[in-house]
Amino acid sequence: MNRTKIARLMLALGGVLTTAAFFMTFFWANASTFPDGRIDFGQKIFYFHVPVAEASFLVFFFTAFYGVKFLMTKDRRFDTRAKIATEVTLLFVLLTMATGILWTKVAWGVWWLWEPRLTTYFILTLLVIAYFVLRNSVEDEERRAVYASAFGILAFIDAPISFFITRWAESVHPVVLAGGEGSGLETPMLITFIVAQVGMLMLGYAFYEMRLHEEEIKERLEALKVTVGG
Amino acid sequence: MASASWRQFKAILRKDLVMEMRTHEMITSMGLYAILTMVVYQIALTEAGEALDVRLVMPGLIWVAFIFMSLLGLNRSFVHEKDQGCIDALLLSPVDRPVIFFAKFSGNLLFLLAVEVLSLPVFAFLFLQGREGISNPIWLLGVVMLAASVGISGVGTLLATMTVNTSGKDILLAVVFVPLMYPLLRAAVGATFAAVIGGPGSIETFWSWMAWVAGFDVIMLLVAFGLYEFVIGA
Repeated sequence: MNRTKIARLMLALGGVLTTAAFFMTFFWANASTFPDGRIDFGQKIFYFHVPVAEASFLVFFFTAFYGVKFLMTKDRRFDTRAKIATEVTLLFVLLTMATGILWTKVAWGVWWLWEPRLTTYFILTLLVIAYFVLRNSVEDEERRAVYASAFGILAFIDAPISFFITRWAESVHPVVLAGGEGSGLETPMLITFIVAQVGMLMLGYAFYEMRLHEEEIKERLEALKVTVGG
Repeated sequence: MASASWRQFKAILRKDLVMEMRTHEMITSMGLYAILTMVVYQIALTEAGEALDVRLVMPGLIWVAFIFMSLLGLNRSFVHEKDQGCIDALLLSPVDRPVIFFAKFSGNLLFLLAVEVLSLPVFAFLFLQGREGISNPIWLLGVVMLAASVGISGVGTLLATMTVNTSGKDILLAVVFVPLMYPLLRAAVGATFAAVIGGPGSIETFWSWMAWVAGFDVIMLLVAFGLYEFVIGA
């Protein structure tokens, strides 16, 4: 089975799993309640927000990873991979921001709060956008690849900071899967979460692989144009 | 070998210093920028009047001035290299790339520190008069300024080397530099606040923020140093 087929399979599976998780969220996972017994309906977004946020950190790692590989080998294919990983990161980061903002409005009563997790994640968003601004303003292709790789590696440093900041600093952002007393999920909730998370990672992989395939076809086309001399 | 590198380091640094001595370009433009920033602060804060305790926001304000000042200096320091073809000559000469990095980094650090040291008293004079002043020993401020400027100059030298070759130049430097500097700035403001405002436990708070500054310095300098060779050769 070649890569494209795997990607298509992942796309289908990821679609099914995330959709399934959506229904599980509403019809199977336990409703979490406030201390006074009311149902916390806003919590349902957890099954979408957290998987997509964790996927964004993971995909961004590949920006740095392929950046390092590019600098070591000077093989342009790795730069293409880093670029596409960052594209998927941008998509996931924007989805995380959108779902997060909806939730903070429901849970905290405000759209935005400058607290450590939100701030560092906002910075991450800016860095991902800056990555593309940087790419677009370098004309020489070789140079663009080197600069983008270097910046991708530097920018990734913010990802672990943003991820761990709720454990290090005083943050009002919830930490559900921290371990320890009072954290963790009841089984149906946990299973729903895992289904959503796995589905989201599959989607991330599928987006990445299909974009890469598209880019490779484009490059082959360009190469053909040169050889044929159109 | 080591002594050759040391001589090369001194030569590049001396070149930057001599150019500055002759033109006074960096210090003048960065210093004026600092003063202009204060004027803008005055405009921004004037309506709040006595309702606002300027002392509480001053630690943040000085870092806003410093970060934008450093942008100006970093950009200048590479525009010259490129416009006058100096960077090409440096790359042609048998100088190790790390030496170029450390020499440019040291030059930028010196200029930044010089302007910071010059503008801090002006800040205090304009904004802290008739108020309580700086509660903890003033050398603590020196520690933050030195440590944070090391990180600013290190990453800034790397990024300015890149952005000088782009179509965006100074605008692009701001776009890539400011978000990268966020963790460092946050910690520097925290430490400065603890040093200026004081109070019980402020020394411990100061040093715990300084630990963040130091950690960030080490990580960022190592990464910037490692990447410089690739970037300058591109």
